[in-house]
Amino acid sequence: MNKIDAQLKKIKSQNRIGLMTHIVVGYPDLATSKNLLKTMLEVGVDFIELQIPFSDPLADGPTLMVANQLAVQHNTSVRQSMELMAAVSLTTSTPILFMTYFNIVFNYGVARFCQEASQAGCSGLIVPDMPLDEERYEGFIEQAEKFDLYVIRTLAPSSTPKRLRLNAQLAKGFVYFAGRQATTGSQRELDNNLFSNIKKVKQYIDKPVAVGFGISKPEHIYELKNHAEIAVLGSKVVNIYHESASDMAIKNVKIFLQSLVDATH
Amino acid sequence: MVLNFKVGGEGTSFSPHIFNNHMKSIFFKTEYDADNYGHFGTFGGRYVPEMLMPALEELAAVYDAAKQDPDFLQELMDLYKNYDGRPTPLYFAKNLTKQLGGAKIYLKNEGLNHTGAHKINHCLGQALLAKRMGKKRLIAETGAGQHGLATATVAAKFGFACTVYMGAVDYERQRPNVFFMELLGATVVPVEHGTKRLKDAVTAALQDWISNVDDSYYLLGSALGPHPYPSMVRDFQSIIGLEVKEQIMEQEGRLPDYLVACVGGGSNALGLFNAFLENKEVCMIGVEAGGRDITKIGEHAARLQSAGKIGVVEGYKSYFLQNDDGQVQSTHSISAGLDYAGIGPEHALLFEQGRVAYHAVSDAQVIAALQLLAQTEGVIPALESAHAVAYAIKLAPTLDDEKIMVVNVSGRGDKDIFILGDILGDEKWKNYLKKKSQ
Ligand SMILES: Cc1ncc(COP(=O)(O)O)c(C=O)c1O
Repeated sequence: MNKIDAQLKKIKSQNRIGLMTHIVVGYPDLATSKNLLKTMLEVGVDFIELQIPFSDPLADGPTLMVANQLAVQHNTSVRQSMELMAAVSLTTSTPILFMTYFNIVFNYGVARFCQEASQAGCSGLIVPDMPLDEERYEGFIEQAEKFDLYVIRTLAPSSTPKRLRLNAQLAKGFVYFAGRQATTGSQRELDNNLFSNIKKVKQYIDKPVAVGFGISKPEHIYELKNHAEIAVLGSKVVNIYHESASDMAIKNVKIFLQSLVDATH
Repeated sequence: MVLNFKVGGEGTSFSPHIFNNHMKSIFFKTEYDADNYGHFGTFGGRYVPEMLMPALEELAAVYDAAKQDPDFLQELMDLYKNYDGRPTPLYFAKNLTKQLGGAKIYLKNEGLNHTGAHKINHCLGQALLAKRMGKKRLIAETGAGQHGLATATVAAKFGFACTVYMGAVDYERQRPNVFFMELLGATVVPVEHGTKRLKDAVTAALQDWISNVDDSYYLLGSALGPHPYPSMVRDFQSIIGLEVKEQIMEQEGRLPDYLVACVGGGSNALGLFNAFLENKEVCMIGVEAGGRDITKIGEHAARLQSAGKIGVVEGYKSYFLQNDDGQVQSTHSISAGLDYAGIGPEHALLFEQGRVAYHAVSDAQVIAALQLLAQTEGVIPALESAHAVAYAIKLAPTLDDEKIMVVNVSGRGDKDIFILGDILGDEKWKNYLKKKSQ
């Protein structure tokens, strides 16, 4: 059984919302991303997105763009990302997913990428610029499934009923709904139409819904509780790390993460 | 399809031959066209986040409908003629030909378009689409600033708000175009991410579009990006080759042997080539930016010479200058418009199939070519276009004098005054700059 399914079952049985957090491999450096990853596991987040950095991260807002750029400047490689995944993933029941852009997967070789990610203990893949429309040319989902990796479908407020239906047919584990029509980035308030948009998604898809884009504090998680199954939080952790004095950074992130985990119960 | 061309004002009935109603429509098919999903062979496609998929589906549908609508084509042809100044001349460069001693060189002078380059062709077409779609605002990226200038121009004319993204490096070196874009009412945003060049401006524009997809139209400036842009931009530029075909028949009574054009993203080259692609006897050459050193990554923008490999970036699959992992690498060219790490997907197919040959020329050759063309023919080309001229200067003397070559002068050189001044300016020029800055 894919770890993602087991985790979803556990969250449901505990009658709470799940939490997925995000790390850019190589930001601010490789050793720190490993520390951040361990910290997330310690405080007990439910899912972790490990972003393999890319020079041109189209769906990412300013915070994650800068993090990607720095990680690329440090020559963070796909190989190192695989190694980090393996170092942590094989000894935890928490599902860790790779998030990246399709050029990274394509250059590594779709089959090779999926095979090595799977061997490293990866549970799923989030590749926002690989829409289902290109599957016939790339065989990406096909390869991923061969190695028991769930390809998480990403959906947006702009998604049409037709596209929601098509994505529903391919959805595995959960779907990732971008809570606002924007690039990633933490926001003070949730989008005005968020709950009605989630409702629209749920009309077409019976998988659990993870909601990201703009989520930045425990209050947001409370607000999401009766609407979505997973809250996703990315940029805010990077911001907290970035804004902290270097000897306090991991500690501050840990305190913040704990407040998020508490909010899920 | 018969083009029923409406003459602009009363009595202004001089209608050049080329705009008479027997000219082929800009909407035609070739064997190199994309499939229904926007794939040119294995290249192209639509690799974008879900956020943009509905907008691109809508755009493709609106574009398909517009192509079927005779009023759309008529309105566009009217703008081409009466606003843009088309047809642009095909001019026999007698002095240059004589000096080089080889093939007859013709210049297709796209620099005589309104706003000074071919970019206005696809801006007018896309502005009409944006109007049809009820959009309020145009978003564009620009490298040399010519596409941004043309976008700001159609925004002013049709009443759109306008934001133009420009890599910080290009913002500095193409300052005259920044000034004029702002004068036209556009907001120009320097992009500090990544290589601070055209590639990063495209990404910034796509990101703006993600957040403003309901009211904004992304007016892409080359034959690249996700489907339908590569096909659509090519179609609107195809007027160049259609005109050349008629003009050369009129002047020479036969088709040319060589077509030469510079290739950034690839819009002016495809504009010239498209109408000739199925005339297999016509050789075509795309000229890339060889920069300072074609053997060193970061020193050139020649994607098809050896360093480029296939990737998926900015929504399309093609050749990109990237490392083993797929991280896109920095580029250099003296011309901002060719300083781009990718190349439009139809060019990737034409390269793979050998239909078009791609060569590179260096910055130094480009400057020499620009000076030679200026001094022999009185034509100052844009630095981008001077790449095509530089290759033509190499090739022409190797051919016999029966051969005919058409070189696309995609734009004029006014915008490059400060770059050229730095390289060629004398004391008088430097003193003038000093005085102005006081
Ligand atoms: C005059 C001119 N020629 C050529 C180009 C290169 O673009 P493309 O390859 O799309 O024609 C530019 C782009 O800025 C330009 O301004």
